[in-house]
Amino acid sequence: MTGLRVYSWFLLRRLGLAALTLWGLASLVFLMVKLMPGDEAQMAAGADASAVQIEAVRERLGLDAPVIMQYLGFLGRILRGDFGTSNVTLQPVLSDLSVVLPSTFELVFFAMVINLTLAIPTGIVAAYRSGRTFDTICRIAAVTLGGMPAFWLALVLQYVLGSLWRVVPISGQASFGMAAPVVTGAPTLDAVVAGNGAAFIDALHHLILPAAVLAILFSTQIFRALRTGLLGVLKSDFIMAVRAKGASSSRMLVRHALPNSLNPVLTLSGTQAGAMIGSAVLVETVFARKGIGAYMFNAVAQKDTFAVLGSVMFIGAVVCIMNLLVDIAQLLVDPRIRSAQFGGSRA
Amino acid sequence: MTTVSAMSGAPRRRRLALSPFDTAVIVLVCVLLLAAVFGPFFAPDSIYTSDIANSLMPPSAANWFGTDDQGRDVFWRLVAGARTTLLSSFLVVTLYSLIGVTIATVAAAGPRWLDEALMRLTDIGLALPSMIVALGFAAAMGPSLKSAIIAMAITGWPTTARLLRGIMRQTMESQFVAGAQVLGVSRWRLMTKHVLPNSLDVLIVKWAGDIGNTVLVLASLSFIGVGAQPPSPEWGATIAGARGYVSTAWWTVVMPGAAVAITSIAFGLLGDIIQVRRDPSLGGN
Repeated sequence: MTGLRVYSWFLLRRLGLAALTLWGLASLVFLMVKLMPGDEAQMAAGADASAVQIEAVRERLGLDAPVIMQYLGFLGRILRGDFGTSNVTLQPVLSDLSVVLPSTFELVFFAMVINLTLAIPTGIVAAYRSGRTFDTICRIAAVTLGGMPAFWLALVLQYVLGSLWRVVPISGQASFGMAAPVVTGAPTLDAVVAGNGAAFIDALHHLILPAAVLAILFSTQIFRALRTGLLGVLKSDFIMAVRAKGASSSRMLVRHALPNSLNPVLTLSGTQAGAMIGSAVLVETVFARKGIGAYMFNAVAQKDTFAVLGSVMFIGAVVCIMNLLVDIAQLLVDPRIRSAQFGGSRA
Repeated sequence: MTTVSAMSGAPRRRRLALSPFDTAVIVLVCVLLLAAVFGPFFAPDSIYTSDIANSLMPPSAANWFGTDDQGRDVFWRLVAGARTTLLSSFLVVTLYSLIGVTIATVAAAGPRWLDEALMRLTDIGLALPSMIVALGFAAAMGPSLKSAIIAMAITGWPTTARLLRGIMRQTMESQFVAGAQVLGVSRWRLMTKHVLPNSLDVLIVKWAGDIGNTVLVLASLSFIGVGAQPPSPEWGATIAGARGYVSTAWWTVVMPGAAVAITSIAFGLLGDIIQVRRDPSLGGN
């Protein structure tokens, strides 16, 4: 009974924080719009708009009203899903983004899979054999890879694996004529829908390097968090008890130590999923993939500021929702939250 | 502070001595700083002009890291860029640390509602992807190095504010603060003269790691096109400018990227070293 009340308290707090964050984000984007040099109506109407068109836009956006009314109008438009209009495609930013979103999600999903399959086993072994050669190598690799610029690693691997060794395609999402008809916008999923095995393999082949670049960079964080967490758990008394009762090393690690150190990994991977969408800006452009990142990059290059700001709003909102989902997942996974979070503040 | 002075015995000292690896990191950081301060004075003027006849030459004795598409020496452009990159990063970290310190002090000293409001504001800042928000600000203000620096300064403070506010709350519970209160020291003076100076050393630890991270983000923003613009020797802008030549002249892309990576890693490791020396129980990560 109390448990249920605590759950709903926790959920309410988190929902409140998510709503607050979205409001803060919208306010920041409004501030960005106001910081843009020049006449906002002129900018929104496009470079070759006539005086009449500019006035129409001024009217529509309520730019003659006091700033506070403009702000409220802006929040209202965001709530209705109007994230601005691109000056290049002349489409609402949100509809532009919804076209490329599945492609980015595909990239982030595969990157996350590679990320976890890379970081969790290495983290476990490094913690278990801490101080040994394997641990040292992993830690050096984590520090080195963690300091590399994403776009640079992408460029170098693209050159070495794509142009020199030709093990992966240099860029794009599918070979010429190989792509399955677009249904969802995510090439692998489209191939599955079409039941086209060759197209699926081809899409995967194009996806592997961009996803691996994102995964490598982010796995260093998961590795560090898991290793540190496990080292702490392995020192605790209950592990000695598990040892004393005669459990094997692998059972001790996987059944007892790991579940007690996975919580930070869960939180971190949720935050990472959001951050990966941000890093996709850097990786998608290098590999000429469709996606939110590439859309944003092109918008910057074409000075399409409204499209950039709409994308900022969108990515920020996705990250907020991701954080909320992680909090809820954590609640389901870790019973300790019940006591720790009740009435308490975030650590 | 107290831990170090309490451990004046010889064996403890030996434990605090720098390992060869630590020394190497510190030397590397010093070399980078020296390059940033003095490097541009030694750089030949030819790195700012183009010499098409000499373009995209591979590394040689004359051009250690080769030349770029304009025939400019890649090595000396990196040295010249070190100043832009490091100076900008120092500026960004200093600016957001100042914002963070101010917010933390006001939150720790102020009434409960103000503390709550500022910490929720910090929560918002922490929950948002800072690079994307910085990208938005820089794009809105008009892409330039200055825009990128301002954008990173206004998005970087939340971690500092959160960390410092926690430490200051802890410091406020120590006995010397209670003593000062008994003596009738005003709240403002108590915070600025007693609590804040005794909480700041945590920022010194954070500082080096922050520089490393800022170098990365700055290069990324420049690469996207909202930071320093291509003729600038800033490293991210250099990579953006040389992108198209990666398959014909790898050195134009690999070298500036390696510079970013080495700088970021060196400052990150320096942060770890300072942290371990402050609190040897951590034993490094």
